[in-house]
Amino acid sequence: MIHLQGVSVVYPDGTRALSGIDLQVDRGEFAFLVGASGSGKSTLLHLVYRELTPTEGRIIISGQDVAGLPRERVPYLRRNVGVIFQDFRLLPDKNCWENVAFALDVVGASRKEKYRKVPLALELVGLSEKEQSFPNELSGGEQQRVSIARALVNNPAILVADEPTGNLDPDISWEIIQLLTKIAERGTTILCATHDRVIVDGMRKRVVSLVGGTIVRDARGGGGYDEP
Amino acid sequence: MNLSMVEFLLQQTWQAIRRNGLMSLATSSNMAVALLILSGFFLMTLNLQHMADVEARKANITVDLEEDADAAGIEAELWGDMRVGEIRSRSKEEALEDYAAIMGGGDPESFVEALGENPLPDAIIVSPKDPQDMAAVADVARNIEGIAEVRYREQVTGKLLTLAHGIKIAGVVAAVLMGVATLLIVSTTIRLTIYARRREIRIMQLVGATNSFIRLPFILEGAFHGVMGGAVSTILVLASYSWVHAYVAQHLSFMELVYSSTFAVLFGLGAMVCGILFGVVGSVIGLHSYLREV
Repeated sequence: MIHLQGVSVVYPDGTRALSGIDLQVDRGEFAFLVGASGSGKSTLLHLVYRELTPTEGRIIISGQDVAGLPRERVPYLRRNVGVIFQDFRLLPDKNCWENVAFALDVVGASRKEKYRKVPLALELVGLSEKEQSFPNELSGGEQQRVSIARALVNNPAILVADEPTGNLDPDISWEIIQLLTKIAERGTTILCATHDRVIVDGMRKRVVSLVGGTIVRDARGGGGYDEP
Repeated sequence: MNLSMVEFLLQQTWQAIRRNGLMSLATSSNMAVALLILSGFFLMTLNLQHMADVEARKANITVDLEEDADAAGIEAELWGDMRVGEIRSRSKEEALEDYAAIMGGGDPESFVEALGENPLPDAIIVSPKDPQDMAAVADVARNIEGIAEVRYREQVTGKLLTLAHGIKIAGVVAAVLMGVATLLIVSTTIRLTIYARRREIRIMQLVGATNSFIRLPFILEGAFHGVMGGAVSTILVLASYSWVHAYVAQHLSFMELVYSSTFAVLFGLGAMVCGILFGVVGSVIGLHSYLREV
């Protein structure tokens, strides 16, 4: 589903962000990406949703090499790769329902499609009751749920999460990760960058550790933050 | 593109215009002023040109023949010049009648009696196809044998044409300057809108909106300012122009202005199209220099 082969990224200022990355994440798999700040976690995620192109190597997403994808094709890739962030990135002047529907609006979904898909997405994240609430009326955990609903409403094959629990307290973080696990079980591939040792140790999922832009450990069968 | 997509785009555009209320007002007003100035120059040039044309159509060359000249031969020689559009001969008797009419009527015979004979020569009246060729055709006529004198009224036509030409140049210069200023203002407004909506644009990019879909509301916003500016300037210009037209018709009846309802409609449409063009081009400039950074 996600397949990186010999990928390196060198920034224009000469900084080497990633070198010789080989990584494969299968359909429905849930993998944590761990490492200190500056280890290359975010750079790797950027490659998956084509925010960045690699200096070297191939990146195959759902069977398609996206490294050489022409600019005008990038939006179509993004419809297949949902992204969530630490800061939720919701639109403050739109309520929950509208925030989720926004992802459908911009890809030209019909009204009928919106009224079918938005309630399903909100139900999946457990926010059906709050669809009329605005982001400032929601807790951090609820806001992250809205952003997950928005990322999933187009039914992407892949969900990329960049520190999704970074702004949340431990209990809420745990709920969000449980929600992501549930989503993976439905067949969505999830790549989740995190600093959260407790969560990683508690989940015993696959852990890919990055140090200085290279993979130093890939606990495929499940592991903790530091140890297999 | 389906209906809900169009609805979404229009909604986005309207939101942006409302959110930047003052800036939007300034942009539309500036567009109106620019179009107002352009329209002013356009109407001046158009009318001077029109007056020059009317005047030129009346203008012709009078070629006075010598007493025993070969009129048919001279006419044939004049027809040999490609620039000649029309030739008409005028006998000395007709010339006398014309003269008598100009002198306030009266019997032409009484002039002959008073003078002893008709002093006016036979003549050929020549009209060039293009009034600009008046002098050249007159020169040709002067060199033909059997011609006593060549006369024409070059002053009025020439002056009007020179004036129209000057105003046209001034108009083009003003149009270019105002055009550049308008484009700058529109593109700045669009940049502000983009800046105000950068979060939204970022999210649109992340969830897979195409670039053209992201750009369209901004281009529509530019077009909106064009339509508003075009409408306001058309109303102002046509109101004042119809007043000028009425005034001229009453007090300066020798002048004839271009004026009809078809003209008013075409003029309004033209102003609108110019406005939309300015707005769209301004937006594209604003988008081009800014959107890729968002």
